[in-house]
Amino acid sequence: MNGPQIDRRGLLGAGVMAAASVGIAGTAMGQGAVLAPGVSQADLAAALKAFRAVVGDEWVAGDAATLKPWSKSYTPDPSGRHAPVGAVCPANVEQVQALLKIANQYRQPLWPVSTGKNMGYGATTTAAPGQVVLDLKRMNRIISVDTELCTALVEPGVTYQQLRDYLDEHNIPLWIDVPTVGPIVGPVGNTLDRGVGYTPYGEHFMVQCGMEVVLANGDILKTGMGSTKNPSAWQAFKWGYGPYLDGIFTQSNFGVVTKMGLWLMPAPPVYKPLVVRHKHMADVARIVDAMRPLRIAGVVPNVVLMMGAAYQVAMFHRRGEVSDGAGQISDDDIGKFAASHDLGMWNTYIALYGTPAQVAESERIVRGAFAAIDGEVMTQEQMTGNPWFHHHATLMRGGLSLEEVGLARWKGAGGGLAWFAPVAPAKGSETQGQIDLAKQILAKYGFDYTAAFAVGMRELHHIIALLYDKADPAEEKRADACYRELVTGFGDRGWASYRTGVHAMDLVAAQYGDTNRAVNAAIKQALDPNHILAPGKSGIA
Amino acid sequence: MKRLALLALALTAPALAQTGTAQTASLPSGQQLGQVLPQRTPAKTYGSTCGYCHGTNVGPILLGRHLPAGYIRDMVRGGRNGMPAFRPSEVTPAELDALAEWISKAPANPTEHGQ
Repeated sequence: MNGPQIDRRGLLGAGVMAAASVGIAGTAMGQGAVLAPGVSQADLAAALKAFRAVVGDEWVAGDAATLKPWSKSYTPDPSGRHAPVGAVCPANVEQVQALLKIANQYRQPLWPVSTGKNMGYGATTTAAPGQVVLDLKRMNRIISVDTELCTALVEPGVTYQQLRDYLDEHNIPLWIDVPTVGPIVGPVGNTLDRGVGYTPYGEHFMVQCGMEVVLANGDILKTGMGSTKNPSAWQAFKWGYGPYLDGIFTQSNFGVVTKMGLWLMPAPPVYKPLVVRHKHMADVARIVDAMRPLRIAGVVPNVVLMMGAAYQVAMFHRRGEVSDGAGQISDDDIGKFAASHDLGMWNTYIALYGTPAQVAESERIVRGAFAAIDGEVMTQEQMTGNPWFHHHATLMRGGLSLEEVGLARWKGAGGGLAWFAPVAPAKGSETQGQIDLAKQILAKYGFDYTAAFAVGMRELHHIIALLYDKADPAEEKRADACYRELVTGFGDRGWASYRTGVHAMDLVAAQYGDTNRAVNAAIKQALDPNHILAPGKSGIA
Repeated sequence: MKRLALLALALTAPALAQTGTAQTASLPSGQQLGQVLPQRTPAKTYGSTCGYCHGTNVGPILLGRHLPAGYIRDMVRGGRNGMPAFRPSEVTPAELDALAEWISKAPANPTEHGQ
């Protein structure tokens, strides 16, 4: 492909070189962070000063003490290259435009975040060094809710808690769909990262409709029907006319999304959560093969989680309760602990929604499918008092919970967590090989296989929580190396990640090939020629 | 619509009744369309954020321990170990001051359960 040549390979290296030639940003600017390529300390200082004039002194951070909450990270960062050098918090779209103008003037890169709580994927830390966090959390207006169309239009700082509160306080019988840390994250950030939840509206980008995007030059683009003279269908019709643009603003750095529409699910007359328990790890293939037709036909309408026992145990227990060994915990040890806590080796959570007759018929089909493969189908009444069932029953109705934060204390006190999320087709034949490979790589570095599968409409997400002690520098280094080997090892087998943290974005992008990267680079050059928006995001400089 | 509303409330009520945290999380926020989130009461801030972990199996119990307000402020902004850090854009300085005082003086909540 002809076009602008971007030295992507040198992105992170250039940051380190800049540190050598210009100097570490200093204790005043983040914790060991280095400046962005081509940006001097004077440029950064001038940019921060200009930012203050836009948003007010209290909404700019530029020293180590005030930057602390933006520097918190769960992902491996043994050399400290992902810490931001500043943060700025605009209150509205006009301020975002003014900040982008300043960033262009000083070539100071900005790293936009919505709620900034993408724990295990980087939170508010940045993919490449020297960036100032563009923190959109203060922009938390719920612009509109249409109770007839069941839609909403929200700003990036709106959390699922806020949206739930608004609907409840106005007696609007609509559900939301949340990821596992719903109260402190929101629809815009999760959808832009192509995250999922666990109701029938769990594929968040599928139920997104219309965006407002501030481009790097300050122009405002409204996607879909939003730019027409009567944009009343902005949240009703996704596609608009001509090339469909919304996708290029997800997992990307091509613009700053300042409003987003989404569809909301009407509360169903009956909601029935179920868990299907299996006793053996080797049951994984037949569970997926049984589930696939049920998902494709819509008999099971929600995003299904097949939770491995170790992942479940790690939510509410610490590793020392299961094993005092240093090596990877065995399936036997996990299995015994799980069984004593009313858990299977696989715990597959599904839910049924609809009229009593619809739910009853679907349950009959589901029970038939799982009876054929020795699955134990359990109801809410049978699982009363089981905290894992309660947790998943909460998620599958769009309820709010932070219980999965407990994962971060599985191994030591340091709170280390990095999600590894390769994708495969939803076929049983794709499962055991992945488990074997994951266990082998994790064991090499001394980590446990704490994992689940999520069954989508046609695909299978393998969700592996790399849990480590971030307070132990040697272990953090091992976690970093382990994650990289997972990415490349799975990539070599054709199982590339659908999403990753700031610590591995370039590496995952490499799994998708040169042409893919060249197209992204060309779009970037066209829309953001000064590369001031989140260089390094998804491997795009 | 009204019938559906009652149905939805009936579906959610049992879960909300399970913990004290859920009770404080369900306190009204008072947010109106097109307006930013108004400053939350300490009980609402606690219920919407802290109580989901501290009091729900994940983090240590805070209420009733009379922890110093300054210590609470530092923990919120810095995070510790597995605890996230909360930015001024999430919990405003005014909300944090009020929250820290409230937690410091709050009695224990017997419906909370923690580690």
